Amino acid sequence: MPVMTDSEVFEKFAQIVAKSLRIDASQVSLDTHLTDLGAESLDLIEITMETESQFHIFLPDKSILETAVEVFGPDVLERDGYLTEEGKRLLLRRMPETDAEAFAGEVAVKDLQHYFLKVSTWVRMIQGLAQFTPAACEVCGGSMGASMGFRMKCANCGHEITLRSGEELNREWAREYYDKEFRPVTVVQ
Amino acid sequence: MSAFASTLNHSVIPLGMLPESVRAVCCRLDSLTCEPDDMLSPREREQWTQMRAVEKRRQEWLLGRCAAKSAVRMLAEKLLLKEIEIIPDAYGCPRVAGGPVISIAHSQGVAVALAAIGGRSERPTQAKGLPHNLLVGVDLESLHHRREDFESVAFHSDERSLLDTLLPDLRQEWALRMWCAKEAVGKALGRGLSAGLLAFRIHHLNPATGAIEVELHDGALQHFPHLRGQLLSVNTARASEFVFSAIIYQQGAVRMRPSRQEILDYLLHKMGELTQDWDYPDPVRPESLLFTELGFESLDAVVLCTAIQEHYQTPMPFAELLAEIGQQQRDLSIDELTGFVHTHLNGSSGAESATGRLQ
Repeated sequence: MPVMTDSEVFEKFAQIVAKSLRIDASQVSLDTHLTDLGAESLDLIEITMETESQFHIFLPDKSILETAVEVFGPDVLERDGYLTEEGKRLLLRRMPETDAEAFAGEVAVKDLQHYFLKVSTWVRMIQGLAQFTPAACEVCGGSMGASMGFRMKCANCGHEITLRSGEELNREWAREYYDKEFRPVTVVQ
Repeated sequence: MSAFASTLNHSVIPLGMLPESVRAVCCRLDSLTCEPDDMLSPREREQWTQMRAVEKRRQEWLLGRCAAKSAVRMLAEKLLLKEIEIIPDAYGCPRVAGGPVISIAHSQGVAVALAAIGGRSERPTQAKGLPHNLLVGVDLESLHHRREDFESVAFHSDERSLLDTLLPDLRQEWALRMWCAKEAVGKALGRGLSAGLLAFRIHHLNPATGAIEVELHDGALQHFPHLRGQLLSVNTARASEFVFSAIIYQQGAVRMRPSRQEILDYLLHKMGELTQDWDYPDPVRPESLLFTELGFESLDAVVLCTAIQEHYQTPMPFAELLAEIGQQQRDLSIDELTGFVHTHLNGSSGAESATGRLQ
């Protein structure tokens, strides 16, 4: 898809949220949280589906922390509901826009909901995933449009591709982080 | 009772069989008629004041707290709601210090809360990952709040196949019941659906009783490995435009007295599952004989017996049973097996022979 600016992604996402929650788009700002706007679990599913449809992306169905915990194994990133220092390092690396002070001291998993359900987090995630949605066909250069499911089809030559899922990309990132930045450290220790 | 008593409904969901010696109360609250200062502790009051959410969410939060405190008060004999303090744990689950375990849900201006206390565990310590030995989860959704096509995101294709077996008129309601069942299990285990929607898989539903069985997969099993292969039974119900779900689960507990019919339903379902690729000319019936009619071999019988014990979390003398029918050179019908399981779940002693209890 054509490259969108931060504000274009935000404005389009704000419209999706406003329509789903039946509120005015002016109530949606980058630092608001979807649940604070009144979103319930099924609203989040609708927002997810509408976001995927409008941005031609495939959102992950769990947080980067959950996926990373599956890669790292139990008690490495989170223990008894609190982030470990390794968990904080990973999240700060993944979410560089986050204020490091927010991860100072004890950080409970419940507090992370504020980050994962924040509008700015969604906007960043949408932009990240949109990089993997091609605007032009790799075969003929024609324009790509939505096809069935999570597929894109060239309007010119009919070439089809399957979009990469956010879950798959998150897992790849977590594995790479594990291999390059976590495992070497643990070997030295 | 206080002024809001008229809006409380204590029989929201049939809670089914409770684990032995567990007491539970489920409260639904449709409107709030008491002031926050009358029901919140100072810490809760601070949490409420700092909440930046829209007014709808703030009101539902209060409604949920009020429903939960009312349920707790019925179990714990505290006099004032503000004496019952509900503080979220590190995962965000509501907890009452030293009191009953609770779960809260709210949607579309209605709140429901489940509180449970007591119980006996055969395990001295709680299993890894579980917040308590006794776990409760509750959820509700409005049928008017249904999102089109949410099934494609919320459910695995196997789960959607279960919905395909229902009458079209029931599909919307049961899709929501299944969703609520997942939410209730996620809440009971203390981490919500954070492991992913498909990690909580609907395994079976019973339109006659409202019961839904949920099995953990993928990331959820990493958090709760000891629940691998276990079916978590959730009760669901519909009341006008809402559907509700509730689970009360005790790790290592013997659930109280399933009826003979419930055991038979389970066995027939399990048999269908174990033999789904076998080529039977007729459906499996209560009268069907395991070995001569259904073609069971000894290993198949062991698999079935193991599944039964895991399902009811109760060891039973299946080895003796199988040895006795072998000595007597006779077969065993599903109905007889039902009687055997029913007898043992009702706590009979081992004084008589295993097969003797079949008669």
